[in-house]
Amino acid sequence: MSARLKIVAALTLMAAVSLPTVPGAARADDSAAVTTSTSDLATTSGAEIYAHICRGCHMPGGTGAVGAGYYPKLAGDPKLVSWEFAAVTVLHGRRAMPAFGLSNDLAGPMREVHLSDEQVAAVVNFIRTNFGNHWKNTVTAADVAKLPHPTE
Amino acid sequence: MALDANASPWSRRDLLRMIGMTAGGSAMYQAMSTLGLAADSPYRGPIDLQGAPPGASVLVLGAGVAGMTAAYELRNAGYRVQVLEYNHRAGGRNWSLRGGDKYTELGGATQECQFDHDLYINPGPWRIPYHHRGILSYAKRLNVPLEAFVQVNYNAYLHNSKAFGGKPRRYREVKADYQGHVAELLAKATRQQALDAAVTKEDQEKLLESLREWGALDKDFTYVASERTSERRGFQKEPGGGLSARPIPSEPIGLKDLLDSTLWRGIPSGDEFDMQTALFQPVGGMGRIGEAFGRELGDLIRYNAKVTDIHQDAHGVTVRYEDLASPGTTLTANADWCLCTIPLSILAQIPMNVDAPMATAIASVPYASAIKVGLQFKRRFWEEDDHIYGGITYTDLPITNIGYPNTGYHSSGKGVLLGAYIWGLNAMEFTSMSPAERVAKAVDYGAQIHPQYREEFENGVAVAWHRSPFTMGCFGIWSEAARAAHYDNLCKIDGRIALAGEHASFIGGWQEGGVTSALDAVGRLHARAVAAGAKA
Repeated sequence: MSARLKIVAALTLMAAVSLPTVPGAARADDSAAVTTSTSDLATTSGAEIYAHICRGCHMPGGTGAVGAGYYPKLAGDPKLVSWEFAAVTVLHGRRAMPAFGLSNDLAGPMREVHLSDEQVAAVVNFIRTNFGNHWKNTVTAADVAKLPHPTE
Repeated sequence: MALDANASPWSRRDLLRMIGMTAGGSAMYQAMSTLGLAADSPYRGPIDLQGAPPGASVLVLGAGVAGMTAAYELRNAGYRVQVLEYNHRAGGRNWSLRGGDKYTELGGATQECQFDHDLYINPGPWRIPYHHRGILSYAKRLNVPLEAFVQVNYNAYLHNSKAFGGKPRRYREVKADYQGHVAELLAKATRQQALDAAVTKEDQEKLLESLREWGALDKDFTYVASERTSERRGFQKEPGGGLSARPIPSEPIGLKDLLDSTLWRGIPSGDEFDMQTALFQPVGGMGRIGEAFGRELGDLIRYNAKVTDIHQDAHGVTVRYEDLASPGTTLTANADWCLCTIPLSILAQIPMNVDAPMATAIASVPYASAIKVGLQFKRRFWEEDDHIYGGITYTDLPITNIGYPNTGYHSSGKGVLLGAYIWGLNAMEFTSMSPAERVAKAVDYGAQIHPQYREEFENGVAVAWHRSPFTMGCFGIWSEAARAAHYDNLCKIDGRIALAGEHASFIGGWQEGGVTSALDAVGRLHARAVAAGAKA
């Protein structure tokens, strides 16, 4: 099965403009009032997934950042001893970090980035073996599939 | 529209999606209203806070729209008020970047805005719907003049890089042709008795007449090239005076090409309640509201204050903060009550002794990714060459929008465009780039729509909201499930602490959410303070 990063926002203009995942909240953006905005990032490279999705906050080199709050540093993070911890974080998000494990029908205009189990495994393996991290036990899509996935 | 969500096996979201797909935006909005999802602003005029206990104090965290609304009203009611703000300026996301401004994002990249005097970009909110009466009321009370924000410009473009050879079409062409074709089809169906079961004979006559009007159909109920249709979609050669004056009608886009192009997706961009005319912007940039609030509150605001701990007990609230002007210095502030407007993305990381349901709520709201790019050009070619005065072009390219300035029309000299306004995956990708790369990408993509970009571009700034040190994201995204489980717990008062901000509203991502949540929280805090009396 080919792993694809799917953007579900392109269902229809209406579905997108009409904030189905943000009930009652008017959307200040009208990014969906466009033509088709389908984006597919069809990569199973952990490095590429990190560069496209994670690096914006966790920074090049996994250094994290500090402002009024902070983005956790991934370089040398002892919590990464647990691949399950890393995978569950990617799947469900943590605090203000969005969930990336929503199924396509749950992912909506504002929660649109969906990673397959294969992609989650790839990016978890990348993070745990880069930035000075050397955790040898790599994981597979099948391992990730056994973890709880977000259902809402 | 008769809808009974309870009787349906579908979720409300499915219903709305289906209605939107089959019936268009206005039906969607109608359905949302029926289901109580599309709400008017609850703002009902200035809040009345009488009887503040003498000497009672409130500490407000955050000098954004919500925090300053609260501070302004509490001060006026007689409370002793102090505001702590992380930034060195007032406004929060209410913000304009102008020539000479410096902005350092997380990761350390610093941009110095090179725009000419009077030119600006609003990295955050950029428009105020007429029904956002709360924020409008404060603009008025703070003497911030407004001007019109153009949402729909019939001469701006709808663009699909994969349709019409990548050539953009004018909004007026797409709208007139879509309406005309649909009207013709519906008229045909009516006249072939296909609607007999649904519409009485008498009403069919009215329907046909309305279709002719709505779609600019001819006497035979067809939509064809003519002066009549060109008056909607524009002429091939416009009428003028003298011998060379005779107009030449334009040829409509065929129905199949129009449907295939998907440009019809862009037609309702001004039909949503939040996007309906009239909309406003402050003269000189959205940041004028935050700046005016800041001037009004003056010394009540302490800037460069990074909150590190919030603690309440039976007697009051103590907040520890770092003075960023002297890094490492921890100071404390005390008050009887605390109104906290710190974004949940940051508040979830600050120790604060509230009960477990509230703490869980604070940690349950992910933040949206968004990018805005401002581009300065040597001349206003969009006006001079393309005759686009204000409004928005929509495209399938990652930049999503090109926003034309709704001010300074027809002036010679330089101009600044909103060159990109991006959400979702594309925003995450742009966030990962350096500011210079974001600007370069926005120029590359925009040049596909306006080739003049290449020649006329001068400089730009790019704000990625997940790199913003003071918000770490653009705004809170409430899923239906999270809303049901956590919203009330987030908004209740816990002991002496109440929260406010767009995240504590049903108008997420809008300043009106900040204003109305602040007023709601202040009203409840005041009631509690009055009940506690002087002993507080």
